Amino acid sequence: MINVKNVYKSFGDLHVLNGVSLDIKAGEKVVIVGPSGSGKSTLLRCMNLLEIPEKGEVWLEGQLLTAVDPSLHEGMEDKKARKAFEKEYSLDINRGRAKMGMVFQHFNLFNNLTVLGNMILVPVELKLKTKEQAIIDAEALLDRIGLLDKRDVYPSTLSGGQKQRIAIARALNMNPKVLLFDEPTSALDPEMVGEVLELMKTLADDGLTMVIVTHEMGFAKEIANRVIFIDEGVIKEENEPKEFFENPKNPRLQEFLSKVL
Amino acid sequence: MLFNLNAGFFENIGKIFSSSEYLSMLFKGLGCTLLISFGATVIGIILGTLVAIVKIIPSKKPIMKGLNVVCDIYTTIFRGTPMALQLFIMAFVIFAIRGFPMEIVAILAFGINSGAYVSESIRAGILSVDVGQMEAGRALGLPYSKTMWKIIIPQAIKNVIPAIGNEIIALIKETSIVSMVGGLYDLTLVAKILGGGDKLANFLAPMTVAALFYLAIVYLLTFVIKLIERRLRSGDKR
Repeated sequence: MINVKNVYKSFGDLHVLNGVSLDIKAGEKVVIVGPSGSGKSTLLRCMNLLEIPEKGEVWLEGQLLTAVDPSLHEGMEDKKARKAFEKEYSLDINRGRAKMGMVFQHFNLFNNLTVLGNMILVPVELKLKTKEQAIIDAEALLDRIGLLDKRDVYPSTLSGGQKQRIAIARALNMNPKVLLFDEPTSALDPEMVGEVLELMKTLADDGLTMVIVTHEMGFAKEIANRVIFIDEGVIKEENEPKEFFENPKNPRLQEFLSKVL
Repeated sequence: MLFNLNAGFFENIGKIFSSSEYLSMLFKGLGCTLLISFGATVIGIILGTLVAIVKIIPSKKPIMKGLNVVCDIYTTIFRGTPMALQLFIMAFVIFAIRGFPMEIVAILAFGINSGAYVSESIRAGILSVDVGQMEAGRALGLPYSKTMWKIIIPQAIKNVIPAIGNEIIALIKETSIVSMVGGLYDLTLVAKILGGGDKLANFLAPMTVAALFYLAIVYLLTFVIKLIERRLRSGDKR
């Protein structure tokens, strides 16, 4: 579904991603862990191009989101060939993003809109749904997360846990192919972490494709099909969760797990 | 000296308010001040918004970069030189045309000056909106311009209103310097004329009345701004 190919990203002199490749299959739940500053959030943000990689490519469902990277293909030194390739495979960045929901650490609900306004704005603006349909779907989603009574309130009156669940519902109202979670529980009070993880679990059970950057190791163990350890901008280890947590091979991962578990 | 002036103070106030000639002069002066202030505010806000948008759009196109430089020069010059000087240049150099309406010269001079300040207020207002708001809009697939228009600007307006209000208040009072170029009978100049030897032969009373007029405008404006602010903030408890 998402193919990240040899992606490099740096901020000034700081090299955050140094050649990361990752394939995410439909229905897969991939959890990315790593020490802070390791590049895990940047990797996630490169997937929907909130950060533009300097090198490498990002593909979504067989369509190219980034510029073509000539070093990954043969015969692409020629500008004409590159143009032709891009014309055949490129996907408009906004259309790509509409297929990928993103959930942020700080929720980022639109403060000037009500809960319902938050949920219907983009699907209606992008003409993915009629306004009536968007409202029907939004209400169904709110009902599902038990927050239908918050339909007409502004985000400032909500708790962190409620905000995050509504942010997830907002992403779901786009009918995304995949949801990207960027430390969704890191900004929450401890007693609110549970309700958000609970919702994410039900989404996982529904078969949604999910890529999750998190520090919740217990949660990773429980729902991941695959756990990825990223450090110094490269993937140091990836494995299914049992093996990943019980039998880590990379020394940096062993050290990391000894600190966080 | 002071008690000497005080002696005729209330008498002179009475004269102003009982003379239809003096009153109509004062109200014409008030009208002139309001006209210049209003015209300049409109120009200032339009110009300021345009400049703020040019400065904020992250574009690498050469046209936008060129515009950016022009806008930087504009704010630097008009914030960096005295308003009176800008007014003189407008009146005696650029529009040194016989019979050209001075009202328009003044509106342009104050409007262009105000735009330089307003642009910085608006820019600051847009920048004060959390970057997460733009990211959330973009991540959902909403284009930059639509995210700006639907999400960022509505939130920025709330933040900008107090600063814009401040700017308008300063502008209203600053229009009093038009008395220096002549040809425009604003509130301050009328007060000065009323104090002259052929009228009241005393400046305290007309100046006080003019001051009260300015105060009344500013007080009303402050009230309106507060009302607008309260309406805009009805959505968010903080």
